[in-house]
Amino acid sequence: MSRHLSYALAFCLFAPAVASAQVALPTGGTLKQADFERHIMGLVSKVGCNSGSCHGSFQGKGGFRLSLFGYEPSMDYTALSRDNLGRRINLVNPEESLVLSKATGQVAHDGGMRFGKDTWVYNVFREWIRSGAKWTPGSGKIEKLEVIPGEFALLTDNKPLQLRVNAKFADGSTEDITPFCDFKISDDSIASLTPLGLLTPLQPGDAGLTVLYRGSVQALRVLVPSPGRPGDYPKVPEVNFIDTEVFAKLKRMNVIPSDVAPDDMFLRRAYIDLIGQLPTAEEVRAFLADKSPKKREKLIDKLLEHPLHAALWATKLSDVTGNNTQALENPVQTQPRRSQMWQDWLRKRIAENSPYDQLVRDIVTATSRDGKSPEEWVEFVKKIDEQSVKNFTTDYPEKKTLDLFWRRQQQVPIEIWGEKVAVAFMGIRLECAQCHKHPTDRWTQEEYWAFANLFSSVTFTNNQYSDPSVKKIVDAENTARKGENAKNNQILLVREMFVSDRGRGKPNPATGTVPTPKALGGPEIVAGRGEDARVKLAEWITAPDNAFFARSFVNRVWAHYFGIGLINPVDDFSMANPPTNARLLEALANEFVKSGFDIRKLEKNILMSRTYQLDYATNTTNKFDTNNFSHAYVRPLMAEQVVDVLNSALGVTESFSTQDGGAPAGTKVIEVGTSRISNQSLAYALRIFGRPPRTTACDCERAAEPALPQVLFRMTDTSILAKFTDKNGRVAEWAKSKLTDEELVEELFLSTLSRLPNATEKAEAVKHLAETNGRQTAITDLVWALVNTREFILNH
Amino acid sequence: MATLRTDCEGFHRRDFLTVGSAGALGLTLPGFLAAEAKAKAANRDVAGGKSKAKSVILVWLAGGPATIDMWDNKPEAPEGIRGEFKNINTNVTGIQLSETLPKMAAVTDKVTVVRSLYHTIPSHGPATVFMTTGNKPTAALQYPAMGSLTAKLLKTELGVPPYVTFTDLRNGSAGLAGYLGTGFNPFVIEGGGGRGANAGFSVRGLTLKGTFTLEDLEKRDTLLRKFDGGFAGLDKSNDLVGGLDTFHQQALDILRSDRTRKALDITSEKSAVREMYGVTPFGQGALAARRLIESGVRFATVSLGGWDTHNGTFARHKNNLMPPLDQVLSTLIKDLDDRGMLDSTIVMCAGEFGRTPKINKNTGRDHWARSMACVLAGGGFKRGYAHGTTDASGMAPATEPCTPDDIASSIFHNLGIDPLMEMQTPTGRPIQLFREGKVIEKILA
Repeated sequence: MSRHLSYALAFCLFAPAVASAQVALPTGGTLKQADFERHIMGLVSKVGCNSGSCHGSFQGKGGFRLSLFGYEPSMDYTALSRDNLGRRINLVNPEESLVLSKATGQVAHDGGMRFGKDTWVYNVFREWIRSGAKWTPGSGKIEKLEVIPGEFALLTDNKPLQLRVNAKFADGSTEDITPFCDFKISDDSIASLTPLGLLTPLQPGDAGLTVLYRGSVQALRVLVPSPGRPGDYPKVPEVNFIDTEVFAKLKRMNVIPSDVAPDDMFLRRAYIDLIGQLPTAEEVRAFLADKSPKKREKLIDKLLEHPLHAALWATKLSDVTGNNTQALENPVQTQPRRSQMWQDWLRKRIAENSPYDQLVRDIVTATSRDGKSPEEWVEFVKKIDEQSVKNFTTDYPEKKTLDLFWRRQQQVPIEIWGEKVAVAFMGIRLECAQCHKHPTDRWTQEEYWAFANLFSSVTFTNNQYSDPSVKKIVDAENTARKGENAKNNQILLVREMFVSDRGRGKPNPATGTVPTPKALGGPEIVAGRGEDARVKLAEWITAPDNAFFARSFVNRVWAHYFGIGLINPVDDFSMANPPTNARLLEALANEFVKSGFDIRKLEKNILMSRTYQLDYATNTTNKFDTNNFSHAYVRPLMAEQVVDVLNSALGVTESFSTQDGGAPAGTKVIEVGTSRISNQSLAYALRIFGRPPRTTACDCERAAEPALPQVLFRMTDTSILAKFTDKNGRVAEWAKSKLTDEELVEELFLSTLSRLPNATEKAEAVKHLAETNGRQTAITDLVWALVNTREFILNH
Repeated sequence: MATLRTDCEGFHRRDFLTVGSAGALGLTLPGFLAAEAKAKAANRDVAGGKSKAKSVILVWLAGGPATIDMWDNKPEAPEGIRGEFKNINTNVTGIQLSETLPKMAAVTDKVTVVRSLYHTIPSHGPATVFMTTGNKPTAALQYPAMGSLTAKLLKTELGVPPYVTFTDLRNGSAGLAGYLGTGFNPFVIEGGGGRGANAGFSVRGLTLKGTFTLEDLEKRDTLLRKFDGGFAGLDKSNDLVGGLDTFHQQALDILRSDRTRKALDITSEKSAVREMYGVTPFGQGALAARRLIESGVRFATVSLGGWDTHNGTFARHKNNLMPPLDQVLSTLIKDLDDRGMLDSTIVMCAGEFGRTPKINKNTGRDHWARSMACVLAGGGFKRGYAHGTTDASGMAPATEPCTPDDIASSIFHNLGIDPLMEMQTPTGRPIQLFREGKVIEKILA
């Protein structure tokens, strides 16, 4: 029996039982004719059939495999209509179709019941089958997805709002496909959202909302303004364009920003954010006493030029660029020194305020020789090696480019270079597209491999050199060194990182062909003989009109100073993750490009803004705000800052093992490059406070969440307790001092919380000093209590 | 701060960090969410009935033991491959072990010897990660150690650390929580475990030491509360501040509890028992591990180093390595069994890889991952069983080849956790516990 005949039969037999083949849609209107691509594929995704853990898995599930997220309608049509002897679909008796009896749980289904028998979803499937289960290839090709109400869904007066999604298809038709979309909201405490796109406001705030329809993504923001009469909104002074954009959005949401932070709060925040240290008691006193109206600006300028400011950013950029000590080349004992060179290379550029685009070009296009002659280069390598054995610092930062970025012990697959470069300098996470189209972004598998192939010529292997003449000189050097080896095994073999003509691209596994190297969403880049594809790539990345380069960096800087990015997480620029304040991101990026990628100017703009200098204390309109910067956010410290700040408060220094890159005692942790620390207590502290091992190409490694061991560490760890009893430490110094109880208590508060005690705190502390036997014991108790407060361990 | 995360699966409504609501507990010692409880109940069904095991002791042989001279000894192999040791009979007919394992030969009826294990990474660091995580290491993601997974997925009582280690593996580069986050790293046990002054163990961060007493702690905490009003106005609405407050309370509860301290006080053990384990850090560590498991710890790692025998393999096995291993491992297994704990406790003894069947010019064996053996005992594994074989030269598995992923899958199956259960990385990527692993049905009791 032909399919058509059976269809005709089915129609004759069963049509009278059903009033109409039209299906009433839950968001209004009726569906006249169910279409495979437009409706069935939409529902297959919406009810989750083709997710990675179900039938979308590459192995399928229960013998039934669908394409992941429904990117291949032809495969899915075959799977539904032909495989399994066609039992999945029963044209004669649609309700007997296996696909329906499974999905409704009438027949045992590992995936459980996906929808009920009396639902519109069921009706769509049934009517599609009843009408012959046809597929018109290309019928659902999407031109454009339009979400109403556009960029923002403003929910006022506690009124719900139904989203509408219109799809414009390639055949020119437009259809309201709202119920076939998948809707997600980033924070369901702000507004509830039904699977059909009905929003109901819950509390004032700002959440991201994403609409997914068969691989197309649209994102918008859901705004629930604070209640209150707009007429009462005060005039808030603005310092610069940052305030203009932040306060404009706040006004729209009827959220009134907090007041400006008092001097002591601002001072502590700036010290921690800018140099990772605490101000001393004297510095707090001096700042509070300073009557100059420009004192905040003076402080910002001073801290921006502080050597530790560059160290702090070198640490952050070491994370971003993946300065993972374990992964560097052998011998093992040289790895920490190489990590230090990496850190110091970055530090020098931040200290000199090198333009950011130049800094990135010098990483992306790095080679070992930087165009030096083989002799000059080998001499340079020898000098660096000798310095690194004796000293903490070397001349490596003088080198033009950061070849260490590309020098790893294990061969790095080219696609991993692609992922690293994309996430580090553009904030794009590509990894999903390695195996399939990125589900919530534009990247295809073809683009993934085309980008990977830009790195096919990067070479760093034993006994390979860019030129025979290099090989000759290196061989001679290595032979000479082998002789010396017995005396000094610290000296390294000379290895060169270069770009070779012999690199070969990798095929896209889906097609089996090797894609031409291509920038992400950019031009093809074909390198001629002797050319380095990375040079053109770097030009493309750092071009002023690159959509990601400036934005991703200003977002990282913003996230550092506010604890949360305008795009969050900072390394997730994707279509499904819109910025909380797009105009601000745009303005920051534009200013940054206009300034010639001047990092310090960018920082100063941020630091001078009223927004940065707001109080953390909230008012009734902004207490729920977590992403619009209406008050300073309380936020955790970086692991390195934790140790440095504790040391700062307790007046002690850290000591390092000789295996830690030769750091002298007293070096601050934010100055240390190695990610492998031999000082056990320090390594332990850094581990539990979440210093990243820098193994993966992802900022997400730096764990910011609090954990119980961190609390226990501050309370009981022997290495902390030893810092209290250090005979050169501040506790010992205080115990010997001639200060009165009142003076001493002030000193303790200023040194730890960077503020004076309030009256009650002061009275309690003085009482404790008076009632406790032994001044050192009493002081230890007090300082222990102070460093274990939440106020101490969180920046605010 | 809740944020939108996107990934290969689409979206996740809420982040892992929603401290203040139920989320805080996800990062805690007894870390256990109601949602996870439900997931686990479901997993138990998948795993088929009730879980057999509740906890794991990993006896780690750091450096890569020459299992070809131990569990898969080949006196009949060709010259240049066969080692210097004879085989001896065990208390299981048909299973022979090297003569360096006389005590293990007497408890072979309690263990499964897996002789057909293999992988492809002959390098210490990544091989250690592979064996301890059950996932082949990749540049893209740090997998959590099995111990961290148990800390995340199994319930632990208050005051007891879920995952402890007596030693940092590979200098702290393995055995960690990876994508689960720092809250699931192991608690580190300190102390020598020898005689006299070094006899005691303590858990870093969980044990008050020296002159700092519980009384001091209570006194200081009272002071602390007087100074910690800084964020009073924020407490209710701020996840971070509220979360820290919760952890502070839990920290006090733990420090006030003496469960862990008592478990670690091995001096309260009969001296005969202590002698049985051997008065070495390794032996006393194994004893302490047993006591910790008894008090509710889920996963404990004890380690014996020195197995990287590039030279003098046989002398070092005979004189230094095998006597303590044979004594401690057999004692541990027997002790657990005598106490009725073996059925609920998995003991796994392995290193990162095997060693070359071919003996090198220094009478040593070099790194070899293509064939290796490991021991699994208790917790739902067969008793008195040898699984798989290697070829005549011990170069590769001949029958029943299995991988570290399979071992890990089998262990988690026995713990009642679906080895294919889906976890989420901080970037929201869904990831199965042991994607490549298959439960080895034949070794299950």
